[in-house]
Amino acid sequence: MSIATVAVFSEADREALHVLLADEAVPIGPAPAAESYLSAEKLIAAARATGAQAVHPGYGFLAENASFADACATAGLVFIGPSPAAVRAMGDKMAARRVALSLGVPVVPGASEPVTDDKDAARIAEDVGYPVMLKAVMGGGGKGMRLVHRREDLAGALRAARSEAGAAFGDASVYIERYLAAPRHVEIQILADAHGSTVHLGERECSIQRRHQKLIEESPSPGVDAELRRRMGAAACRLAAAVGYVNAGTAEFLVDAHGSFYFLEMNARLQVEHPVTELVTGRDLVREQLRIAAGEKLGYGQEDIAWSGAAIECRINAEDPDQGFLPSPGCITRLSAPAGPWVRNDSGVYAGYTVPRYYDTLMAKLIVWAPDREAAVARMERALGEYQVGGVRSTIPVLRRILRHPDFVAGKLDTQFMERLDDAPVPGRHRTLALIAAALAAYERAGRETPPAAAPTVSAWARLGRPGSSGSRPR
Amino acid sequence: MKFEAQLDGAVVPVEVTGDGGRYRVTLGGDALEVDARPAGEGGWSLLLGRESFAAGVCEEEGGVFVVDVDGETYSIRVEEETRYIIRTRGGGAAARGQILKAPMPGRVVMVEVTVGQAVAPGDGLVILEAMKMENEFKASVAGTVKEIRVEAGQAVNPGDVLVVVE
Repeated sequence: MSIATVAVFSEADREALHVLLADEAVPIGPAPAAESYLSAEKLIAAARATGAQAVHPGYGFLAENASFADACATAGLVFIGPSPAAVRAMGDKMAARRVALSLGVPVVPGASEPVTDDKDAARIAEDVGYPVMLKAVMGGGGKGMRLVHRREDLAGALRAARSEAGAAFGDASVYIERYLAAPRHVEIQILADAHGSTVHLGERECSIQRRHQKLIEESPSPGVDAELRRRMGAAACRLAAAVGYVNAGTAEFLVDAHGSFYFLEMNARLQVEHPVTELVTGRDLVREQLRIAAGEKLGYGQEDIAWSGAAIECRINAEDPDQGFLPSPGCITRLSAPAGPWVRNDSGVYAGYTVPRYYDTLMAKLIVWAPDREAAVARMERALGEYQVGGVRSTIPVLRRILRHPDFVAGKLDTQFMERLDDAPVPGRHRTLALIAAALAAYERAGRETPPAAAPTVSAWARLGRPGSSGSRPR
Repeated sequence: MKFEAQLDGAVVPVEVTGDGGRYRVTLGGDALEVDARPAGEGGWSLLLGRESFAAGVCEEEGGVFVVDVDGETYSIRVEEETRYIIRTRGGGAAARGQILKAPMPGRVVMVEVTVGQAVAPGDGLVILEAMKMENEFKASVAGTVKEIRVEAGQAVNPGDVLVVVE
């Protein structure tokens, strides 16, 4: 599209890939997000200073912040996303629930107002019935979410959810909703132009989650047939139209074992997992976002959307799956990504790059396409096996375990899947090999270190004169 | 050169000889001929007979090598044999208890124990916030909390001691 790009970066992100790839780059402050990426003022100043005409908010930080969308409009900048009013109507999870109810779209039972104090919360949780889910009103990405099974855990979970929500979104409000056991998490991608056209691009299955953060997404969902897709798609389009939604958006639903669906929330932005939709529909979603923001018509209708094959995305995060997905920031010493037909690697890192400790752990997204799901799973397994990341721990080992699990292979997915995955300690297939590699590394290092230590006592001339000793390592 | 390799609580004697990419590795009695070459930064190519493997080896503090092979990750502490013997002789006490250190930079959200409190393996000790997520660090041994070196709100760096359990 030949559009020049301006990157913004915090002090922790000077070496980040988006800075390296952009045409221009503007520093916007210290590492903590509150002082840089969450500062609307600094972002708008950067846009003004560079003469940018539009702002793409990405999928984190202020992507779903209506005040920021407002500020862009006031500054004469095109916000690549919905109008501030639509962001407000959908970004606020409570307001979105009310819209859904008014349109007859089913929602998960829960409170219609955020909880204010612990006593209030305890009462609402009793009304809704345990287990309950705590969610940040301005939430997304699993931040500020907690599942509570027992009433004695409520206060602690509330504190944690509030603190996380406050840090991530600048708003600590939390609400309570009934928790459905073992549902599928299925979302519908929509596109809407400013001329009244709204279409859906089908669903994404996002049930493979840990800590309410998605790990693997795919399209189509093995649990959604054409009829369910049509009904959920129509509901998503109705919701979007009701709030005058323009641009790309996603309606999230829970689908229970009987195929009943419940609206959860609308994500008024591009999703991390959008590539799987791109691969099965052949439509470049970011390009569509830019076209829509420029005021163009979609130029096609629902009947023109066709789906082909199956796509899967795996999130390669800097986390240690053997230690409860503990973040593993640090220097990436080794990196080799897979390639081949229908293998796509959307990466934000490179060898020698240090994953900063301040932000999300997502390093890359590995996406594959194949004519059917079985072939896509096989292709993903092959590609993950070739993916080599050194220096930081990554989710690759657990992704491979998931892909081999009989339930995953059979498409029997739900949000409890990760609890069924054995905590297989270390598979141990390559234990001997690992011991050999570690011993060789120690041996080589000892060889590099020992000569200077030995030098003072023996003359270099004497050492060189001794047969067989030159060039060999002291043992 | 003789080493003691420690992996998951097991101690494996390993002897390495050789040079220039060709090594003889004796591991628990089995002698293996290994052709090993550095392949890129932090990477090794290993040939065991005709079998070809790529391993990533990254050295961490305290002689710990993190090895990744075909998606599996191992943390192996490799010590030269005499050093291992000196360290472990009469040093049984060091193996008891737990010294909980911060594995990454972050901020202490909450200290869940008090000095003198008895803890069982799996009990929460400290909640640390890092990379926008809260992570709970648990006791790995049964014992008594001897020291608490941090408080809520405090920023910590990797290696900082948080809690000592005896």
